[in-house]
Amino acid sequence: MITDAMSRLTTLATSLSALIGRPVVAADGRRLGSVRELLVDPSVTGNCVAYMALAAPATVTAHTLPVVSVLDVLPSPKEPLRLRIGAGSSELNLPERVVFLEKDLLDQQIIDVHGHKVVRVNDVDLVWEAAHGQEDLWTLRIAEVEVGIRGAVRRLLKGLPRSTVETIAHRFQARVIPWEFVDLIDRDPSRRVRLKVEQDRLSHMHPSDIADILEELGPAERDAVFTSLNEELAAEALEEVDPKLQKALIESMDSERAAGIVEEMDPGAAADLLSELSDERSEAILGEMDPEERQEVEELLEFPGDWAAGRMTTDFVQVSATADVATAIEALRAFEGDTENVTEIYLVDEQNRLKGIVALANILLASSHTPLANVADSRLVSCALDASGKQVAELFDKYNLRSLPVLEEDHQIAGVIHAEHVIALLRAER
Amino acid sequence: MKQTFWKRWRITIMLVFAALGPGFITANVDNDAGGILTYSQAGAQYGYSLLWTMLPITIALIVVQEMCARMGAVTGKGLSDLIREEFGLRLTFIVMLLLIFVNFGNVMAEFSGIAGSLQLFHLTKYISVPVCAFLVWALVVKGDYKVVEKIFLFASVVYLAYIVAGVLGRPDWHEAMVQTIKLPPRSAWSDQEYLYMTIGVIGTTITPWMQFYLQSSIVEKGITVRQYKASRLDVIIGSIFTDIVAWFIVVVCAATLFTHGMRRIDQVADAAEAMRPIAGDYAFILFAAGLFNASLFAASILPLSTAYTVCEGMGFESGLDKTWKQAPFFYWFYTLLIVTGASVVLIPNFPLVRITILSQVLNGLLLPVIMYFMLRLINKRELMGDYVNSIWFNVIAWATALIVTVLSLVLVWRGVVQALQH
Repeated sequence: MITDAMSRLTTLATSLSALIGRPVVAADGRRLGSVRELLVDPSVTGNCVAYMALAAPATVTAHTLPVVSVLDVLPSPKEPLRLRIGAGSSELNLPERVVFLEKDLLDQQIIDVHGHKVVRVNDVDLVWEAAHGQEDLWTLRIAEVEVGIRGAVRRLLKGLPRSTVETIAHRFQARVIPWEFVDLIDRDPSRRVRLKVEQDRLSHMHPSDIADILEELGPAERDAVFTSLNEELAAEALEEVDPKLQKALIESMDSERAAGIVEEMDPGAAADLLSELSDERSEAILGEMDPEERQEVEELLEFPGDWAAGRMTTDFVQVSATADVATAIEALRAFEGDTENVTEIYLVDEQNRLKGIVALANILLASSHTPLANVADSRLVSCALDASGKQVAELFDKYNLRSLPVLEEDHQIAGVIHAEHVIALLRAER
Repeated sequence: MKQTFWKRWRITIMLVFAALGPGFITANVDNDAGGILTYSQAGAQYGYSLLWTMLPITIALIVVQEMCARMGAVTGKGLSDLIREEFGLRLTFIVMLLLIFVNFGNVMAEFSGIAGSLQLFHLTKYISVPVCAFLVWALVVKGDYKVVEKIFLFASVVYLAYIVAGVLGRPDWHEAMVQTIKLPPRSAWSDQEYLYMTIGVIGTTITPWMQFYLQSSIVEKGITVRQYKASRLDVIIGSIFTDIVAWFIVVVCAATLFTHGMRRIDQVADAAEAMRPIAGDYAFILFAAGLFNASLFAASILPLSTAYTVCEGMGFESGLDKTWKQAPFFYWFYTLLIVTGASVVLIPNFPLVRITILSQVLNGLLLPVIMYFMLRLINKRELMGDYVNSIWFNVIAWATALIVTVLSLVLVWRGVVQALQH
């Protein structure tokens, strides 16, 4: 026990594996059972254990369990756990969103939101806390999840005297994830919605990291995580995932939701995805999409994948060649696509033919009434619809491009290829 | 939409080829050094009288492999992952230890096969083994082992040589067929060696590590429940093919070695002798090539599969796409397995064949343990949904596990009694 005078808390460290199997004894010495499960009720508080169950939940649909409230337990480093005077076990109606620490957490995969990866839980570190001077009322807080060797060793050596176990375990490195950074995954669809407790941690991760995590999970967990993402995030993550997985993820959802996500995707990426699906499936999804997005994607689907046209996106910013900087900025504001990739603005004439390219930096530097023609780069680098991947890559290298406009035969601008597409292409060829 | 009939047809063909792989590969790996030597010894020592094991083993093999394929397709996770998630860390740890021990024996067997086969070309094992060990290590760690897989697969065509040899050898077809169906007399079981060889034959056909490998391959190929029917076919075909080859190996050795009184295969060269009366001097080349190919192939897959299995089960970082620094345990373990396996074989006067067959017997002893876990997992409705085992599958699988357990216990019991008596 540690009495921390500063925080006025008395604490006692323990772990999930140390608690499971401990006998529970009432104040009068009567044996009530052994701890089989620890229950967390997220609707009350998400980071403390609420109950200790004396029987393991037989199936996921168990409705009641014999439990003791954690508030009734007096912690001790040795077996057994004693209850306060007058406390006993009772039959608890399981709350809607209960989390079982042993069943749902131990040995399962979780997402380390901080480290952007999927890890397996070896143990859970818990801390008994009581206010100084009130050592008959304890709470059991979940401190962190142990995913390293120390936790594994501790579990393997369980049964040996505690001090021996701790000495050996401390020889190994601990790898922990604080409870705030843990994101649980629940495979069971009926419980999935209920676990959404503070689950928005995932939405703060970069889509590419989310894509990595999706690739590491098994199918059931993967679907669970993917369905918990909002449409925009799902679209961005989907763009980063490899094609096979893209297909698997889209196939497992209904056309309406799929359409919602595909609409949020970059048209080029959307076209790539839809071309991998079967005809009926892509028709079904296209059918549910907004007509405008649908048309964009359908246009791109007309081109073979290895043409420049098959790689390009139709999301770009174009302004009349006679306009000024202010108009360009307005056009940028009105742009609905992904602004991350916009590095230049394209100047076109009345027939949509490419006349000039203006770098974004130059727009920032010029005053708003400057005609765009003054800040435009008159040296135009572009490629044709049917340019090969190799030719495109060569152009990017030679002219140090970040974006390349794709022109039709009559110089009308059709789309733009960004550097990220070329990098992916080059890496795939290795 | 540009999706033409041709494209859809092409997708179907690719799906079939993509699915056709794991089962067939696993089956071919079955006929590695351990397999070839065990079957040869079985034929040499007991003639046709071990042939009855072929039919039940084939059925058991199909059932076990199908279960692994099904589990992989439905859950999308490897076998060690599932064991970890459903049975906890401790049990997983124990199973991993056993698996490492048994697989180490198998790795030794593969390198024995490499040494033995190249010895037929008068290449000393002190050169062949280190070179091949390095080659295998480099191919996997530095190269693209998928390409390697395909090359070996094509080279496995050499196994057909055994079927050809079998036919040319003019064995007593009638006797062979009869023995394939007739159960052995009670008296056969009192021979400790007979029991030993039976378990060896079981262990070399239904290898535990192959089940882990098969399930991981299914998961890696991303085969889902929908495509799983193709995989099931692939598994069945692979199993039947591998056991037909095994049958012929036994028959060939029975017809030549057994009938001419050579009962023991002490060196790989002895097994090659079996082919000589039929295929003449080409016997050596065929046999050596087949054995070498099989052993090298298995030597590239087995240590890697073991490393993956252990890392998955224990939660270490794994994967060839990670660097050494990112997945240290994975790479070190893999390297260690190859180095120690190869080194042991280099010991002078190492009894290559005897240890190889022993490693297959160890496979047989471990099998019921793994099957126990598999059966518990595959009958969990929470895990498998509607794809739990049917009654017949359960009957066959549990019966197999039980029979092998009984045989193993008798073998070990008798062995202990015999040892104590000396």
